Amino acid sequence: MPDAKQGTKQETMHVNLKVKRYDPADSGGKTWWQEYEVDIHPDSTVLDALIEVREQNDGTLAMRCACRASICGSCGMKVNGSAKLVCKTRAIDVSPNGEQMTIEPMGNQHVVKDLVVSLDTFFAQIKRVEPFLQPDHVPAQGEYIASNASMENLLTSMNCIMCGCCVSDCTVLEVDSNFIGPAALAKAWRFTEDPRDGKRDERLKMLNDEDGGMWDCTRCMKCVDVCPKGVAPMDRIMELREAAIQAGNTNTPGYHHTESFYNSVKKNGRLDETRLAIDSAGWTNLPRLLDLAPIGIAAMRKGKLPPLFPHKAEDHKKVKDLYESVEGESK
Amino acid sequence: MKYAFYPGCVARGGAPELYDSALAVMERLGIEHVELTKAACTGAGVLQEKNLKMGDILNVRTFAMAEQMGLPIMVLCSTCQGVMAQANHRVKKDPEYLAEVNKHLAAEGLEYKGTTSVKHLLWALIEDIGLDKLKETFTRELTGMNMAPFYGCYMVRPTDALEFKANPTRETSLEDLIEAVGGTVTDFAGKTACCGFPILFINQANSMKMVANHTGTAKDLGADAMVTPCPLCHLNLDGYQPKARKQVRGDKADLPVIHVPQLIGLAMGMSEKALGLQKHIVSTKEIVRMAEALPTRI
Amino acid sequence: MYEHDVLIIGGGLAGLRAAVEVTRAGADVAVISKVHPVRSHSNAAQGGINAPLTDRGDDWEGHAYDTIKGSDFLADQDAVEVMSSEAGEAVLELERMGVIFSRGEDGKLGTRAFGGQKVARTFFVGAITGSAILHVLFEQSLKLGLNVYEEWFVTKLIIEDGVCRGVVAIDLKSGEMHTIRAKAVIMAAGGAGRVFEPSTNALICTGDGLSLAYRAGVPLMDMEMIQYHPTTLARTGILMSEAARGEGAYLLNASGERFMEKTAPDYMELASRDVVSRAEQTEIDEGRGIDGNVLLDLRHLGRSFIEAKLGYLQEVSVEFLGIDMAEQPVPVQPGMHYIMGGIKTDVNGATNVPGLYAAGECANVSVHGANRLGANSLLDTVVFGRRSGVHAVEYIKGVGAHSKTEGDLASEKARLQALLDRPKGERVATVRDDMARGMTKGIGVFRDQASMEGALENLNNVKSRMGGFSIENKGKVFNTDLMFGLELEFMVDCADAVVAGALTRKESRGAHFRTDITERDDKNWLKHTLMYQDDEADNGVRVETSDVKITQWEPVKRVY
Repeated sequence: MPDAKQGTKQETMHVNLKVKRYDPADSGGKTWWQEYEVDIHPDSTVLDALIEVREQNDGTLAMRCACRASICGSCGMKVNGSAKLVCKTRAIDVSPNGEQMTIEPMGNQHVVKDLVVSLDTFFAQIKRVEPFLQPDHVPAQGEYIASNASMENLLTSMNCIMCGCCVSDCTVLEVDSNFIGPAALAKAWRFTEDPRDGKRDERLKMLNDEDGGMWDCTRCMKCVDVCPKGVAPMDRIMELREAAIQAGNTNTPGYHHTESFYNSVKKNGRLDETRLAIDSAGWTNLPRLLDLAPIGIAAMRKGKLPPLFPHKAEDHKKVKDLYESVEGESK
Repeated sequence: MKYAFYPGCVARGGAPELYDSALAVMERLGIEHVELTKAACTGAGVLQEKNLKMGDILNVRTFAMAEQMGLPIMVLCSTCQGVMAQANHRVKKDPEYLAEVNKHLAAEGLEYKGTTSVKHLLWALIEDIGLDKLKETFTRELTGMNMAPFYGCYMVRPTDALEFKANPTRETSLEDLIEAVGGTVTDFAGKTACCGFPILFINQANSMKMVANHTGTAKDLGADAMVTPCPLCHLNLDGYQPKARKQVRGDKADLPVIHVPQLIGLAMGMSEKALGLQKHIVSTKEIVRMAEALPTRI
Repeated sequence: MYEHDVLIIGGGLAGLRAAVEVTRAGADVAVISKVHPVRSHSNAAQGGINAPLTDRGDDWEGHAYDTIKGSDFLADQDAVEVMSSEAGEAVLELERMGVIFSRGEDGKLGTRAFGGQKVARTFFVGAITGSAILHVLFEQSLKLGLNVYEEWFVTKLIIEDGVCRGVVAIDLKSGEMHTIRAKAVIMAAGGAGRVFEPSTNALICTGDGLSLAYRAGVPLMDMEMIQYHPTTLARTGILMSEAARGEGAYLLNASGERFMEKTAPDYMELASRDVVSRAEQTEIDEGRGIDGNVLLDLRHLGRSFIEAKLGYLQEVSVEFLGIDMAEQPVPVQPGMHYIMGGIKTDVNGATNVPGLYAAGECANVSVHGANRLGANSLLDTVVFGRRSGVHAVEYIKGVGAHSKTEGDLASEKARLQALLDRPKGERVATVRDDMARGMTKGIGVFRDQASMEGALENLNNVKSRMGGFSIENKGKVFNTDLMFGLELEFMVDCADAVVAGALTRKESRGAHFRTDITERDDKNWLKHTLMYQDDEADNGVRVETSDVKITQWEPVKRVY
């Protein structure tokens, strides 16, 4: 039976690792860098290299790993600054010329030791979305009837293995730990899209209204970039927003912002920035409007306040016609 | 090279200095361009939240216009770049969807066949003109100027729609430009993070934290200025820097943020006024002074 | 010290299903797991879960017979009857909890074909069925507010007066050890794949549950029955689901022949796993393989089909080997995958130690006998997980108050400290590697007296080194190094039982195929092997046998 780890003896690859270490027993929260060098099969993954370190060099290195097949979600960590599932990250892709690679624990989560982070933050977020089916009836016999297309649609979210990479790299979570986060929102999406769930409107409303809910995503696409399973959480969040608006949730600045943008382009072919700012703040929201004043004044003084009568695209009526044809289609 | 020029809404609105400096640079380089005055806003990802298909239709319409002219599109904004690249990617990989979109464009006599490419000025300079040719137009080397790159999310993600694999220089385009003008890159972790502009009107507190973190960190690391290819990032990093820095770090807005054509213009020896550098909220006086003190070659 | 009515060791499918049942019954229950529940190896099951749906004209006896035949008649037929008759409801229940099973045209649950069965009765979610079910059970555990001792490692079962009364465990995050008293303990800690190398199993599958029960006096049954899955990915050993073959993939040798025709002309690629693995190994050994592999060919299924139904397989093939299954066949080989053997239980999960139950891969009821059919493992976990839960709840009604003493806590603390204090010796990984490779070599797809004795010799050598390995990490927090040492000890126990069983059974049956005794011997060997830990016995294992329970189906020659 061939060797799963070594492969052909004549070829090995030299891997250079710089790992961020931390031991809570070491008082003061001090972290330090430790360098390792190992030789492994050229097709090996970063995880293979780390396991080699752990087994042959340094048994004190703490990390989580289990399946080595990108299905258990244990081995999320930062490689050269970006969260990855190291069991499916080929070492040669990271360092084609043997460059030293930097390995750190995932971000936005409390570090337990070395590359092990606490899962508490992640699962607290998941729990916030009531992540279990809430049907409004039980079928009299047998199963719920649902189309195959509707079940296959849910695969996108079901592929999530809760590895935490998206949460690690989320730029909003970096500044605001109250944000419910990309993983939880992608999970919530699954339930709003599941025809068997009876709480769609309530879920959309809750995530719409909640502080740190669906509108707090800054659309930076980091979660889409780092997710190793193609869940694309930000895309799910955008769909949640579209669904929330369609379900009649029009009470947020996020909604007003989107609506204003949409209408501005419809009317002018272009974005009317001043109008957008005011609409997003809310015409009757005095404190928010006053908040805008300083930047407006500053812009005016620099001679670049967008004109009150906005620039329009040439022949912009064609844009309006286009909108009407699309809107007419969905009626 | 000739391009169908799409300046975007903000370059014609809240960041006119971007438009002016871009035109000045293109003229100096002899880049021919025709402005797509009929093209609509890309939607910036915001319009797409309400209706993704509408956003795609507006962008594909723009692509079709350029295709009719037989010209590639050039943009000045990371967000325009990213939004357009994503729309292009979506319709190119799904012929059925493209047909649906084209149905709506038929009334205007437009049909997109999938051949238009979209490039930011920065990418066009590196990929089409070449940094060597660019350097020939420089009259000074910006030695001693530490520049912190800030890409803007839409310029670096998602990598498949942005065709990073086929164009590996895109990953380090800003840093390459900074080095080409003779400056030194101030590297910092947030260079590909979010500036906070998309949530400015939704969660201002978080938006301000992002601005403060990025500009503050870059300043701490010794940057003289930050350069960004995105006017939306610029609006936040420059326009809201005073508020953000005061609110979050209790310090002053001391990091000027400039546009890509302004950086190039400084190396080309252009004046403060020509580049609109006096229009920034955070003063650019110091870097203008630094640039003007450098030796020029004839 | 902690107390619960029921403590479940293991947070995978069997453990969580039992937990849901016990919670519903109103008893106080907790799950203790050395990994977070969603990291349990159940998530790696890919192809599907079998169930006869009687409302569609399938009869459960058909599934029962296929299972028994697949087991090469070693399965206890009363247990199989229980599993097959409860399967339909078990699967429907999972669907109602929210599992996103694939559907047919009519919106009802859809099926795919699977090995060893002529009727398509395998319900599935793409190629991630195990993960999909595990995550839904996890969701249900959140809904029910289940208490989980997350990342706690059980070091010993507390047995007092022959009754199981709880566990001693170490909280990995702090390194502190505790006693958890329980009126009933359900062992659901999974299999022992890491006793072999290579294996499709995760690094955490170290036979902890099997060994803990073994040390408590419970026999491990039919441990020689080790399943080698026919399609594990070349070089990496990653599982490539049987679902590929269920959906129509072919197995080809180097000449492009569908070689299964030779040994299983009727079932072809969907013969039982041991038959397919042996056919592949024969092709490889006789020079008709390619670099030690055969080929799994999905090209004719088409790209969009592959992506919809077998997406995860494509992901693995592309990511790990750079092979696009729609364009090229994939190299595969037999790989150790599952252990049919395990903790002997009755149909309620009860062992010979009162208060100790077992369910899932660590248990052996026996429903899988000498060879498990694909998609029966997931079924086994939920059916017997549920039943163990039900029975444990009944059992505890007759159990008195918890003892207030800490049981074996002090001795376990001392034992672990002694391990930590050992002077520098061999690395755990080295010892484990030697053991595991020796096991695979000697107890492989094909085995004979010489190879098995070689495995025994190797194992004895390993055992002689067990006092000398050392733990480099002396810290308290998240000391995985210490855990690996403890796991090695558990693995050696399992290896002991496997080798003893293999050397005892003097016939070929199912997965235990001896090239020196190729025939099945129902007259003498229609029996289970039972391995007991016994210091007085040869190699520390005392082997007994027991009869196989026959109800409806007389054993016949197994032909595919």
